[in-house]
Amino acid sequence: MIKAIFYSKFDTQEGPKVVHQVPDGAIVPSATAPAQPLFLTFSDISFFVIPRQELCGNLIQVCTNGYRILGYPICMKSLRYDRNEFIFNFCVVLAEEEDFSTYKSVVQKLADLMHGLEEQNGFLSRDHSKPGEGKVYSLCETLMEDLNNYCECMIPIDELNTLNIKLFPVYPAPPPVKAWHVPLFTVRYQTFMDENWDLTMQRIVPHINGVNSIRIISILADTDFSLTCRAIRHLLYYGCLFLLDIFSFSAIYAPTAQFSSTIAIDEDMQQECARYVNTLFASPITAASAALTPGYPSRHDPDAVWPPIGDPLTTSSASEMTIPSRTPSPSPSSGTNPASSTTTNHHHHHHHHHEQPHQHEHLQHHNHHTLIHNLPPTSSHPSSQPVVDGIGLVELYASLKQGQSIKQWYLHHTRQLTHIDIRRFITFGIIKGFLYRVHKYAYATGNPAPPLKSSLYHHSHSHSHHPSSTFQIPSGPSSRGPGTGTNSPYASSVGDDPAPISQHQQQNQNQHRDEAAGAGGGQGQGQGQGHGTASVASGSRAGTIVTVEAEADDEDDDDIDDKTLSRYLDGMHCFDQICTELEISERELTGRLKRFGGEVLILHR
Amino acid sequence: MSSIVRPPDPCLVAIILIVRSQAGPRFVFHYPPNPLSENGLRGAAKARRPSRTKSKSNDSSSSEDSSSSSSEDEDETQPPQNQSHMAGSHPVAGRRSSNFGLDDGVMSASPGGESQRAGSVGSGRGMMRKRGTNSDAEDDAGAASDRQDDEAGGDGGPYRPPWESLLGLPADVWEKLLSPSRSWHKRRFEVGINDLAFVGWPVFMREDGTWRKQRRKKRKPRAAWEGGELGHNENPGDDAEEDVRDDEAIDASTETLSPKQMAASESQWMSMASSKSIRTMSESLDADDKDSMTMFNVAFVLDPPLLEYSMRLREIYDNIIKKFSKALKWEQARTGYVWKEAQHISHIKEKAKEKRMSMNGLYSELINQSSLARAIYTMFTSISASKIASVTLSADVSISLQIPPLTSTPWLPGPTDKAYPGLWLTTADSVTPIDDPTADENTAPHQVLAKHFALLLLDNEAAILKDVEASGGALAPALAHYIRCSKPTKSFAQISVSSGIPLSTIQMLASHLVYWRRARAIPPLHQRDTYVVSPNCDLSKLELATSVYQTTFPTLPSLPKMLSAMSGTPRPYGSFIPSKDHKDTYFTILAWLLRGGWVTQLRAFARIKIPPEIKMAVETVLRREEVEQYLRKRSSDETKEDFDDVSSSSSSSLDSHDSGEETPMPGRYKQDNELAVSHSFLDRNTSLKTSSLIHYPHRASPLESRWLDEVMSRFPDLQGGEVSDGDLEYVGLQTSLKKYWPTFIKYFNGYDALEKIPVRESLKRKLVWQILMRLGLVTGQQSSIQLDSREQVLVSVRHW
Repeated sequence: MIKAIFYSKFDTQEGPKVVHQVPDGAIVPSATAPAQPLFLTFSDISFFVIPRQELCGNLIQVCTNGYRILGYPICMKSLRYDRNEFIFNFCVVLAEEEDFSTYKSVVQKLADLMHGLEEQNGFLSRDHSKPGEGKVYSLCETLMEDLNNYCECMIPIDELNTLNIKLFPVYPAPPPVKAWHVPLFTVRYQTFMDENWDLTMQRIVPHINGVNSIRIISILADTDFSLTCRAIRHLLYYGCLFLLDIFSFSAIYAPTAQFSSTIAIDEDMQQECARYVNTLFASPITAASAALTPGYPSRHDPDAVWPPIGDPLTTSSASEMTIPSRTPSPSPSSGTNPASSTTTNHHHHHHHHHEQPHQHEHLQHHNHHTLIHNLPPTSSHPSSQPVVDGIGLVELYASLKQGQSIKQWYLHHTRQLTHIDIRRFITFGIIKGFLYRVHKYAYATGNPAPPLKSSLYHHSHSHSHHPSSTFQIPSGPSSRGPGTGTNSPYASSVGDDPAPISQHQQQNQNQHRDEAAGAGGGQGQGQGQGHGTASVASGSRAGTIVTVEAEADDEDDDDIDDKTLSRYLDGMHCFDQICTELEISERELTGRLKRFGGEVLILHR
Repeated sequence: MSSIVRPPDPCLVAIILIVRSQAGPRFVFHYPPNPLSENGLRGAAKARRPSRTKSKSNDSSSSEDSSSSSSEDEDETQPPQNQSHMAGSHPVAGRRSSNFGLDDGVMSASPGGESQRAGSVGSGRGMMRKRGTNSDAEDDAGAASDRQDDEAGGDGGPYRPPWESLLGLPADVWEKLLSPSRSWHKRRFEVGINDLAFVGWPVFMREDGTWRKQRRKKRKPRAAWEGGELGHNENPGDDAEEDVRDDEAIDASTETLSPKQMAASESQWMSMASSKSIRTMSESLDADDKDSMTMFNVAFVLDPPLLEYSMRLREIYDNIIKKFSKALKWEQARTGYVWKEAQHISHIKEKAKEKRMSMNGLYSELINQSSLARAIYTMFTSISASKIASVTLSADVSISLQIPPLTSTPWLPGPTDKAYPGLWLTTADSVTPIDDPTADENTAPHQVLAKHFALLLLDNEAAILKDVEASGGALAPALAHYIRCSKPTKSFAQISVSSGIPLSTIQMLASHLVYWRRARAIPPLHQRDTYVVSPNCDLSKLELATSVYQTTFPTLPSLPKMLSAMSGTPRPYGSFIPSKDHKDTYFTILAWLLRGGWVTQLRAFARIKIPPEIKMAVETVLRREEVEQYLRKRSSDETKEDFDDVSSSSSSSLDSHDSGEETPMPGRYKQDNELAVSHSFLDRNTSLKTSSLIHYPHRASPLESRWLDEVMSRFPDLQGGEVSDGDLEYVGLQTSLKKYWPTFIKYFNGYDALEKIPVRESLKRKLVWQILMRLGLVTGQQSSIQLDSREQVLVSVRHW
């Protein structure tokens, strides 16, 4: 908020002098102004307003009496002036503590304009109007009024000149983005994108869905990677995106210190979460019927949002079939429903274009209206079925912890998670800041590789060869005490099981088949090329592009030599990065690390 | 997530000393000699601002400017350019990346008004630049003597030594600019030129020609300034006697000592102010020289990033600028120090000018010969490196100043936040209310270190002891004694008992060590507590730290091994200790890991869950009570009729929220006081079909209290309630929870770590954890405890 604007000049008789001031009597006493205290003592600051020549042409600010005076003194030399020079300054007065960053450009712009006007026709030096009158005064007056009220102004001055100013907030520079970051829109880009947008931008935005990593986006959009990064940063600068991590079922998440003050006590957030993760809301069929039902009973029942607790063997597969956009859950028993994972990320972005707004992967903060009418029929009789209520969600979040993969966690909570989209569930926590991803890092100590605990190795290996076997939850604490020399560095890693969804490779073709194969080929060069059944389970995750056949090839797939790998083993590269850059899955990476010619320790951070 | 606290960043560019005498203002000294020049004395120039050396010219180049300006530390990505597809505006600002956005096309400019910028002074420019057409001041600058390059005036003018210009402007411009009018006396003086800020605390001579108010009463004289290394609590202000306004100068962060100590140090200050010395000094000065100083101003030149401008300024102003100027004022009052030194410096400079000395030659001479020049030099080098500046003004007076560093944060930065890896990640704040978990932690921070915290030394004990003894301050023996007694496994209170040092003394000494960066207050280390690799640890230092660790603990598992072991499912630290003999060593390792921010304690937090069954049970009782109450009322109604009229008006407003409760109650039509109270139990917003958490058990609403009573009443009474003395191991399993519930309940607020309970309540840890596990705490540990679902009332979560 501008408190005052004043025009000051150097008068050859009187010295520095305030010619016009808005409001009247703010800077110097005025006969016309009502008696009021001055904002400040002009003589205190006159040196900064009309400084020595050397300082002219610089943005100068000074604080006094609780005000900050921003000015840009200009010194013009010409024979037509007394003493051959004319020094003037248009100053903006703000409260001292107010953020002045946006006004610096205003002052400079004003100085530029006045400089030009004075040069053209002596706009200022010929202005002999009394204080509070004349063109210069009214310009100051309009400027202050418009900027304070509208944050912009367009003031015509003469037939050639117009003063156009708009206040822009200053944002921090966007952070560097990485190939393995996963952007998610905070806004619906369709509403403001037009054909004038940058071409890269136009191509990448359809692939931004909270699932695809930036690397994958650039592959899918067929855009240059560095241009993609720049476009992403641009969107970040304007706060249109969140950056997430690559979701996979071998990833580990744990609560942050924000947990107690956010989801745990914020009932609105719990509701918001339920609406976001409840897979029943994602079904276009139920949503449509719900919307058509007049006087839908649960419209006013806030408890209708809670996802019901179900029996995973029946309801989960059924619901998955009807919900193309949900992220699949790792099913503990394979083969129950081969069609249960007919899911690709391409569905995600494709549906954005054509289907209900609720299908968008946007996290809208005030979306009651868009979502409330999509209530599922099951919730019309909520008391008949147990639900995961707000506290139930909190308990689910609280049960995430270090050292426990999403898959292990899922197996503990299968019933509650029946109607919960797990990826969205995790994403919600990341966005709200009460969850964090525990990243894995590898560190080569330089010591010779310790003898592997063969039992462990074979244990996990047997999984990969028998995907139909039921997962076992690792039980019992790992070996006691560090440095006993016997514990395998991989004992603590839980990510070495195959990505669960890959076990139910989708059998039925879908319309995005080509696209999917293209993506798979692009990122799976290390392992997946040539496998006809290769498919993308979730495009963002290099880690999940696993084919059933590829598992058999694991052992002899030595495309990555130790030298390449060792660059990543300094503890500074997280698994997401290594997998993205080497284009392998996490399971392959852990497998490869086991064959590394030296001791490798896994750190979770 | 942008609310992440930032550690101090001094943003210090230069320090300038200006004095004014009857002869006018004088530019006395500045350091460094060539600020912002890449090859100046300041070898450790911050590498973070590669872009600002670029001078902005005009619109056409602005997009390149913006991209080059933010391309620091990027390997593969490029920043956004001035892309026009986005609302036509422009990403400008960035940490040190924009020249304050002045030249970026922030406004759609009419081409006629756009011209080259002048801008001679700015952090990006070490010297005067060719001016644009904005200001015609350069037209005759060639002839004028004030045309400055950093070279000595080559235009045949009089010799002007290089130290008589700064940032491209001659000294006489600066001395005028930085000697403000008297209205800034002992106030913050802030001037900005482009993106540089000049901040000072000017001090003027009093009307009577002295530098401090004459004191009527003299306190007992003390000879020495003791506000040095030990006196972080010093209020280096003689102002208590002069100006109440300055009382706020005492920075909160320095007030960690007891009031007693504060008073003592104040008296030290005061005692120096014997008016006698002032008079003698000013007299002698007058005799020496007819000219005398009327003002001095130590202006700190800063280049804060635009978005952190006011925060950075406040930090350095409160902690450094004001305190340093006060110390100078104090010495000036006592011995005429500033004026004496100013004359001394000017004298040396004059001679150097005659001898056409080099800049470096002059500066080494100045720093050797003038204690004030040396003080400014030390101040600059230390503060700009975020270190503690210990400055000696005279044999009597030395002062230590610092911008207190950020020691911990509860915020884990996300990918879009600025990260400070290595910073201790915790919610264990040592200066929050100590024995009262019910108090709001944000509103009433205690300035005393909580007595249940322990001291973690940040260096090895021997090194700190050596420094303490070398400093030889008044506190040194006490500090040394305390440091020898202190252990990170024992709380202040425990150390007090074992060593006999009073708790308040321990807290004072400990906060002294904490303030001066020698130690950190932490929850005491315990083998039953759980520690995990900190998500904020700085893995880029892993290699270096591994070798340091190796030399410290040569025979033990390496650092990566240790971290790897602590990476899995969290478990108590004790499980990593191979044997009892290793206990001490492993605690030393843990302290080492904590000190470096490698690990952080994982603590448990819990709230009480109220399931629908409890709610319904309470609801049933409530409604029955209401009916009974109504019936009872009606029988005695006749006697109270007068009262009803009075009370109904006040209670109806409360009631209006609750009208429309599902079940019609007779009482709704008969309002009276007691009914209103009971009615409020039926909070319409509370769903009875879903669970709730009790947010703040100590501030439970009436309804919540009823729920809690119901919860407790359902705890089973154990038959073997009377504990046999020999079976202490299982005491926590055999006692009815009803016994401990009242003690424990206040900690179930989601903010108090449950690890505090045994320490604060002086209970056995084992007992506490047994009880907590029965209550539903999930520790991840296998346990043989038989869980009773009636007792499982907690929703717990673990984080740092």
